[in-house]
This record gives sequence, structure tokens and C-alpha cells, in this order.
Amino acid sequence: MTAEILLQLGLSGLTSGATYGLIALGFITIYRATNILNLAQGDFVMLGGMLTVLGMQRYGIPYAASAAGAVLCTGLVGVAAERLVIHPIRNKPLLISIMATIGISMSLSGAALLLFGTSPRSLPPLLPFGGFELPGGVRVSAQTLTVLAACGVLLLSFRLFSKRTWLGKAMEAAATDRLGADLVGISRSNSRMMAFGLSAAMGAAAGVLITPLYFMQYNAGGLLGLKGFAAAVIGGWGSYLGAVLGGLVLGVLESLGLAFIPAGYKDGLAFVALLAILAFRSKGLLGSRALQEARK
Amino acid sequence: MRVKQLLFTRMEVYLVILAALMPLWLNSVSFHHVMTIAGLYAMGALGLSVFMGFAGQISIGHSAFVGLGAYTTAILAVKTPLPTMACLAASAVVPGLTAWIMGRPILKLREYFLALATIGLVQIFQVLTTELDWLTGGVEGLYNLPWLSVFGLSFDRPLEQVYLVWALVYLAFLFSRNLCSSAYGRAFRIVAASEDTARTLGISPESMKTRAFVFSAVTAGLAGGLYACVFGSVSPQAFGLDMSVMLVLMVIVGGMGSLPGTLAGSLLITWLATWLSGYQQYSLIVYGIILIMLLVFFPEGIFRGIGARWVDLVRTYADQDWRKELRR
Repeated sequence: MTAEILLQLGLSGLTSGATYGLIALGFITIYRATNILNLAQGDFVMLGGMLTVLGMQRYGIPYAASAAGAVLCTGLVGVAAERLVIHPIRNKPLLISIMATIGISMSLSGAALLLFGTSPRSLPPLLPFGGFELPGGVRVSAQTLTVLAACGVLLLSFRLFSKRTWLGKAMEAAATDRLGADLVGISRSNSRMMAFGLSAAMGAAAGVLITPLYFMQYNAGGLLGLKGFAAAVIGGWGSYLGAVLGGLVLGVLESLGLAFIPAGYKDGLAFVALLAILAFRSKGLLGSRALQEARK
Repeated sequence: MRVKQLLFTRMEVYLVILAALMPLWLNSVSFHHVMTIAGLYAMGALGLSVFMGFAGQISIGHSAFVGLGAYTTAILAVKTPLPTMACLAASAVVPGLTAWIMGRPILKLREYFLALATIGLVQIFQVLTTELDWLTGGVEGLYNLPWLSVFGLSFDRPLEQVYLVWALVYLAFLFSRNLCSSAYGRAFRIVAASEDTARTLGISPESMKTRAFVFSAVTAGLAGGLYACVFGSVSPQAFGLDMSVMLVLMVIVGGMGSLPGTLAGSLLITWLATWLSGYQQYSLIVYGIILIMLLVFFPEGIFRGIGARWVDLVRTYADQDWRKELRR
């Protein structure tokens, strides 16, 4: 076990961690605007990647245009899902809304199964150059940098959006204080719809970014989504920074775990970490009011 | 003075006799097979119904307990010379103990976090069963399990299996019904309504939630043990999130807080799933859409939902002034 291997593992952990962080951002966006947990988030990610592949391979659209189209389409799917499914059950108990998002997730992966079949798909890297080698013999690929950069940019823009713009503030107000939002004339219904569209588009962008790194398949969304959710909880539920931090921690943990335990256990590690966090440090790494309230 | 517990109503005895004649009357192997599966699900869903409908908690992770029960029975039956009945009994004990140990930390959580933690249990269970292949047989699982035999009577034909499973389901149903109408059931409902109220009344919410959790894990484990006995094989894929979602759906469709509804819901959803599985690649999307439709149009459960609509309809037409209502 040399230092280079550990470093290389750490780096690949950061990459997958950034993808978890991107997915977690989508969860947080919906949660902060609606107090709903959207378990279909992973399928938005899958849809983003798969639609890009579809656009490029079946219709020969250029990469960038295809990716933009996929993000737009997935955003529309998010809006449609909100109007058709979440809106009618907005006043129903929590369990119903959780199950409804599971239903959305099943329908989306079912649709992907019909559209794309069962074979795993991949994309070429977003940037044309291949990457470079650090002095210690550690390889850094361009896609890794792209993912990390995108994660940073999206984190920053979401923070600014929710703190500095009227729209972002209104969306958060709608979830924080329902009566207050109604009184000052914020439409909760519209803000819910926008939040779903936004986070679906955001998930699709994550999908476009990670498809070159991993293979994407019609049923990949479930596990990706759950790990993104776990990341958001580990970092401190409810904050954008916590989501990304939790993602990075989770990614590095999984990747370094590979050095010490058999590879098959990797997918379980996230949930062990999650249960440990929930049991021992219930507010997450950064601290979260929502989490602490949930564990009284 | 003790309150006398209700055991049966007269109507129920007639219904049970009719239901007991069903497998003989509709005598086909495929019918028996599907009814056996429905019975397994009903067993798992009963405990979950107590946990969710009465104690007011959320669990999308009970397939882990079903799997734990199934693997307990399978491992004991393959690797030890224990009689199969003891293996089946162990399938109730091991998940119960696991739930008792895991209960305290997990049940402190609420809402989404409880749901997530229980989903986490399923994922961890899947990874463990796949990876510990010296014990569990890995991805392929364990097969060629011996049939359950009780004092020389071997349950190896679908007809016998239907009776075995449904007899146990009925026992579990009677037990859950009495449990829910006992002091425990009332305590569960108070905990569900408000934990602070429960504390003021001297009921410990933690202990009540843990008991409901353990009970649900025991029935789920028993369902798993029966699964192993009936199918003769277990594998990790069978106990994934899909099964958990199906169990929760049965409870919701049957109506939260209704035990007969849960039985009916498990019959309905099992038949739906069996019917859909014939359509291969279309089954996933159709299942997802039906799930959404059930939740959107019948969030209180399909029987209650249809019942309410029927009552509305009757009331509208039975009303003396319904023509006036329509004209208005």
C-alpha cells in the first residue's frame, strides 16, 4: 500500500464525492423550497445522462447541444412530475409523498428501460484533452477537474440564488413559513413547481457530468439517488455547503475503503456511515436544525 | 376486571370457511402459487401495518427483515441438522432480536430520516448477503432447501403450502387484532398521535415504538422463513427495496390502521404484480404509474376511498332533493 495508491484513490474518491455532492444539491433544492424529499432525484440524474447519449448517438446532435437539450427536457419532466403527482397530494401525510416520489422514480426508470434498453451507456469526456500527471505519478483526468469545478460553481450559484435573489428567497420562504408566505403573496404552488424543475435540471446536469466517468443504465438512478441523499444527511441536512461536503466525505470514504475492505462492500459503506451519523452525531458534520428536530 | 378480548365474529367464521374452501374449488397450481406469495406478503404487511398504521412510524426497510428471516431458515436448514420446524421458528427470533438492538437508535429518528435509515438497512443487508458468500452463497444464494415438515407431514405441494401459509397468516392476523385492541394498541395510537401526550400519560414512546418495531420484524421474519420453506431457495435480489415498497404499498392501499384492509391490500397488490410480470419491459413503468395513481386518487386506501365515493353517490341520489341539487 504505497502513498501514490492512496493518493490516487483519494483523488478518485473526490471525483465520485463531487458527483454525490451534485446529486445531494438537487435533494436540498427541493427540500428547502417544499419540505418534500424527492426520492426520484437519482432518476433525474440518470435521465440527464441517457438523454444526452440518445441525442448524440441516435440523432447526431453535437455534444453541447445534446447536453443542454437533456437538461432542459429533464427540467420539464420535473415540472410535469410535480404538476401530475406532487401537486394533488400536497396536503397528504408524509408517507404518501415519499411513496409517490418512489412511484415517479419507478415510472422514470421504466420509461428509460423502454427508450434505451438495458445496455449500459457512456459518453466521451466533456473536454478534449486527456488530463495530466502529478509529480508523484498520480493521474488527474480532465473529467475529474470538470466535475469538481462544476460542483463548486453550482454550489456557489445555488447559495447566491437562495441568499441574494428575490426568487430564491421567495422559494425558501414558501417552505419555512407557509402562512407567512401566503400572507405576503408568494405562491407556494408555483415555488414548488419551480423547485422541482430546477432540481430536475440540476440532477440532469450532474448526470451529463458523471456519465463519462461511470456507465449509466436505466436502473442506475436508485442507488445514485440514495447515496446523494445519504451524502446530504452526512454533511448536515438542509445546507448546500453541507451537501457538497457530505458528498466529498462519502466519496473519499468509499474510495479509501477500497484499500482496506473487499470491493463488494463499497455500496454498503455509505449507509453504515449514514446510520453512524444519524445515531451519534445527529446534526450532521456541519450541523443542521432540521436533522436535530427530526431526532428528538 | 379484565376486558374480554374479541376473538371472532360470526360473520368471520363463515368467511374463513369459504376462504378455506377456495384452494380446493379453484384447484390449479398457478392459483395456489400466487395465493402462497400473497400469503407471504400478507404476513409481512400485517406487522408493518401495526408499525405504520397504529404506531405511526415509517419503514421502507422491512424487506431486510423478511430477508433476514429467510436467510436464517435457509442457513440453519442447509448447514445444521436441526429439524425444519426449529429453522422456521428461528426465522422469527433472529429478526426480532435484530430489530430490538437496532430499534432504539433508529426509532429516535422521524419522518424522512426514519425512512432513509430503514432504506439503509435494506442496502446494508443486500451488501452483506452478497458478500458473505461462505455463509449465504453470495449472489446465487442458497437453494435445494428441505421442505418444511411437521411431525412427518411434509409441505411440498402448492396446495398444502397455501394452507400452511394462510393458517399462519390468520393466526398472525388474530394476534395483531387483539394486540391493537389491547392496552398496547391504544398506547401505540397515542404515541402516533403525540409523543408528549404519551409521556404525560406515563407511556414511554421509545419503548412502545421499539415493541411495535420488534413485532413487525417478527412477522416479517416469519414471512421470510416461510418464503425459504415454500420456494426452497433464497437469493439477495429477492429482498431488495422493491419488496419493501410493495409491503408499504399494501398497507397504504388497504388503508392505514386497518388490519383486514392490509390482508385485502396484499391480495390485490400481489395479483397486480403477478399480472404485470407477464409484460416484461412494460411492467416497471406500468407498475410505477399504477402506484402513483393509487396514491393520488386513493391516498386513504382503495377500500376506504371507494367506500367514501359510494356513500357520496348513494347520498346524492337517495336525497329527496337531489334533483334540486343538480339543477343548482
